[in-house]
Amino acid sequence: MIWQFDFIILALALICAVASISLKDLLSAAIVFGAYSFVMCLLWTEMGAVDVAFTEAAVGAGVSTVFFLAAVLHTSRQVKPRRHGRFFYKFIGAAAALAIGGVLLAASADFPTWGDPASPASIHVSPHYIINTIPDTAVPNVVTSVLADYRGFDTMFETSVIFVAGLAVLAILGRFGRRTRDEAPAEFAAVPVAGQSPIIQAACRIMVPFMQLFALYVLAHGHHSPGGGFQGGVILAASFILIAISYDLRAMIGRLRERWNMVFASLGVMIYAGTGALCLLLGANFLDYSVLHRILPATSPIMARSHGMLAVEVGVCFTVMAVMVLIYVNIASHGKSDKGL
Amino acid sequence: MIAPEQYPVLIVTVPLLSAFLINLIGMVDKRLCYPASLLALGASLAAALAVAARVAATGTIHYHVGNWPPPFGIEYVIDHLNALVLVVVAGVALVAAIASKRSVEQDFPDKRAQFYTLFVLLTTGLLGMTITGDAFNLYVLMEISALTNYSLIAMGGNRALVGGFNYIIIGTIGACFYLLGVGHLYIMTGSLNMADLLQLLPALFHTKAVLVGAILMLLGAWIKMAFFPLHGWLPNAYTYAPSATSTLVAPLMTKVSVYIMIRVLFSVFGAYYVFTVLPVKGLVVWLAVAAIVGGSIFALAQQDFKRMLTYLIVAEVGYMVGGVWLANQWGITGAILHIVNDAVMTLCLFLFCGIVVHKTRGHRLENLRGLFRRMPVTMAAFAVGALSMIGVPPTAGFFSKWYLILGGIDAHQWGFVAALLFSSLVNAVLFFRVFEIAYFEPAEEVHGHGAAVAIDEAPLSMLLPLVAVAIGLIVLGLYSTSLVSTFIQYAVPAGI
Repeated sequence: MIWQFDFIILALALICAVASISLKDLLSAAIVFGAYSFVMCLLWTEMGAVDVAFTEAAVGAGVSTVFFLAAVLHTSRQVKPRRHGRFFYKFIGAAAALAIGGVLLAASADFPTWGDPASPASIHVSPHYIINTIPDTAVPNVVTSVLADYRGFDTMFETSVIFVAGLAVLAILGRFGRRTRDEAPAEFAAVPVAGQSPIIQAACRIMVPFMQLFALYVLAHGHHSPGGGFQGGVILAASFILIAISYDLRAMIGRLRERWNMVFASLGVMIYAGTGALCLLLGANFLDYSVLHRILPATSPIMARSHGMLAVEVGVCFTVMAVMVLIYVNIASHGKSDKGL
Repeated sequence: MIAPEQYPVLIVTVPLLSAFLINLIGMVDKRLCYPASLLALGASLAAALAVAARVAATGTIHYHVGNWPPPFGIEYVIDHLNALVLVVVAGVALVAAIASKRSVEQDFPDKRAQFYTLFVLLTTGLLGMTITGDAFNLYVLMEISALTNYSLIAMGGNRALVGGFNYIIIGTIGACFYLLGVGHLYIMTGSLNMADLLQLLPALFHTKAVLVGAILMLLGAWIKMAFFPLHGWLPNAYTYAPSATSTLVAPLMTKVSVYIMIRVLFSVFGAYYVFTVLPVKGLVVWLAVAAIVGGSIFALAQQDFKRMLTYLIVAEVGYMVGGVWLANQWGITGAILHIVNDAVMTLCLFLFCGIVVHKTRGHRLENLRGLFRRMPVTMAAFAVGALSMIGVPPTAGFFSKWYLILGGIDAHQWGFVAALLFSSLVNAVLFFRVFEIAYFEPAEEVHGHGAAVAIDEAPLSMLLPLVAVAIGLIVLGLYSTSLVSTFIQYAVPAGI
């Protein structure tokens, strides 16, 4: 722990948090919120939680900022002024926040010190994972073996949460069946259409294949280094969103149809849950990958766990990519999958 | 092919996998989504019944997901308490799904695939929260049920969007509190497994961090169940939700949250810590009294039938929380029995409400005019549900209320006893007012004066579930003693 570094990061995090709440311009608030995520990402890195930092950078600072921007462009850039009762609500809010903060601070007095090797979290279950990850699963990255195997059941449901998020956006914003041609143009006239600049288009064109290649590397190398299906999926989605921003939405939808997107989103979680169910059908417990050695050629039960993890990571990657693109398309185009942003 | 040892995980994973399939099937043919969801929920209910039978015969079942032993992996623990709640959740969800056919076709014909996918996933989330023995796994499933719930509510259009948005904010704060609480326990013990926490925590009972963790988890559960001062999100969200949504969430969300409270109190912290170390026993019972009285009074003030029912839910939550914190055998038995009974009663009332909305396109009290003549069978079934809410024997509602009153007397909590009696009185006034409107006030004449009112019953897909649930209420009442002796008596923590 380098306290000077932490002090600066925490001070910046606080400034960004207060600024993003108090800014009247919602576009600036969204950008500052992205900066907040980036500062948090630095903090996770400093703590040694590189996988978390990776996710925070990709999701918090990356795609969620774009979602906010898309939402701001379609609603209003300014905070709606409230006429009465403002002070009262502010007071209640501040009092509640201070009270909860005070209680949490009081509780933290009992916590073990920063990075204490004798803290309960470091001596109870963690050593078991660290010692046994190689003999149990042949996966050197402990984070991956905990997320995809020891606690893989949680990750399956987390992937389902992502799926639900995409489906919820579609269910609320999406317009099916009665789409009329004449309702689109009026709204989009006001939205600035990016992508006229050939410089931006050319730059993005070059970047997209490298991003996708990197995404696949992040996915495939998750067993050995920080990364995995989640981060890989977000980077893949970011490459598609980049096409949508630099050209227009139609250019992206031409490459990834919305229908296929929904199929990918379902398919991804089905790969995950299906792998679990396959273990069940082979006579083992749900998600007990080791039994997969019976159907995988030349594989020991331990390597089967490693392969099983790769399978579910691929599933996660599918769902995350498809859902991120789906959310972007629906927010950016008001659910019409038309041109937007 | 699949051994009975695997049934516990099937309760959750069958609807999970089916939900994604339903989404894909919906792309091919929207009409197939409805039967597919019935199949999925039916299979889940069958597994839940099989597991409950095994628990009743042989006691608690442990299931290790991924074959990792706890506390390293995630464990499913099914004891007498959640075996019962699982059957209730799966059963109510199936009935709600059967009845949803017409209102889904009416409300969102183009979004049937999305609706049923979310519907089945919401049920998955509730079942998963109920079955798990892992404090963090519970949080993940809480996220699933919450997200699906918000979106199912928001599908109801403009006012539902506002109600749903408020619910997102408050519900997220509730879930955050729960997660923070779990985080505190993890920092102090290094474990997320409930049984392991129960072993590790007693050595740390004196620390402030565990106290704050307990308060945070409790507050999280209370926000989720709309316990009285924290109930603000519930009436709008449930009133403006589409009928098919409210039929599922109104009976289940608050009840599962009450179950979570009981599970966290007794399986993570232990009865000794909750009732002896924490100095809040009397305070919580008085909060419950406030919930019962407040909910009842607000219900009296409503002109909207569905909104009146939502305030009754707030009052019923007070019953269950108060019953648990009476801290005696009777009170906790009554609270657990009331989880079952209230889920079925609320289901009955909201099924009826769904029929009213389907037939009259509204849910205000004046929409009920003349319904006794138009829909005699529907009204008879509704009357059973109403009598059960009031607490008239032999309907189920009487028995849990009876246990709760006995518990209140035993604990000398006279305020709680008075609140229960007051609430029964208010329910009687409310429902007899509804009967009066539906029986005596004539329907608005559309086809000229003096025309005989033709019988115009609800469609069978809505009527049959309602009648079945009404009969179920009486059966539940008649068999409530065996329910207590087979399941609930083992669910009450020992040494109280």
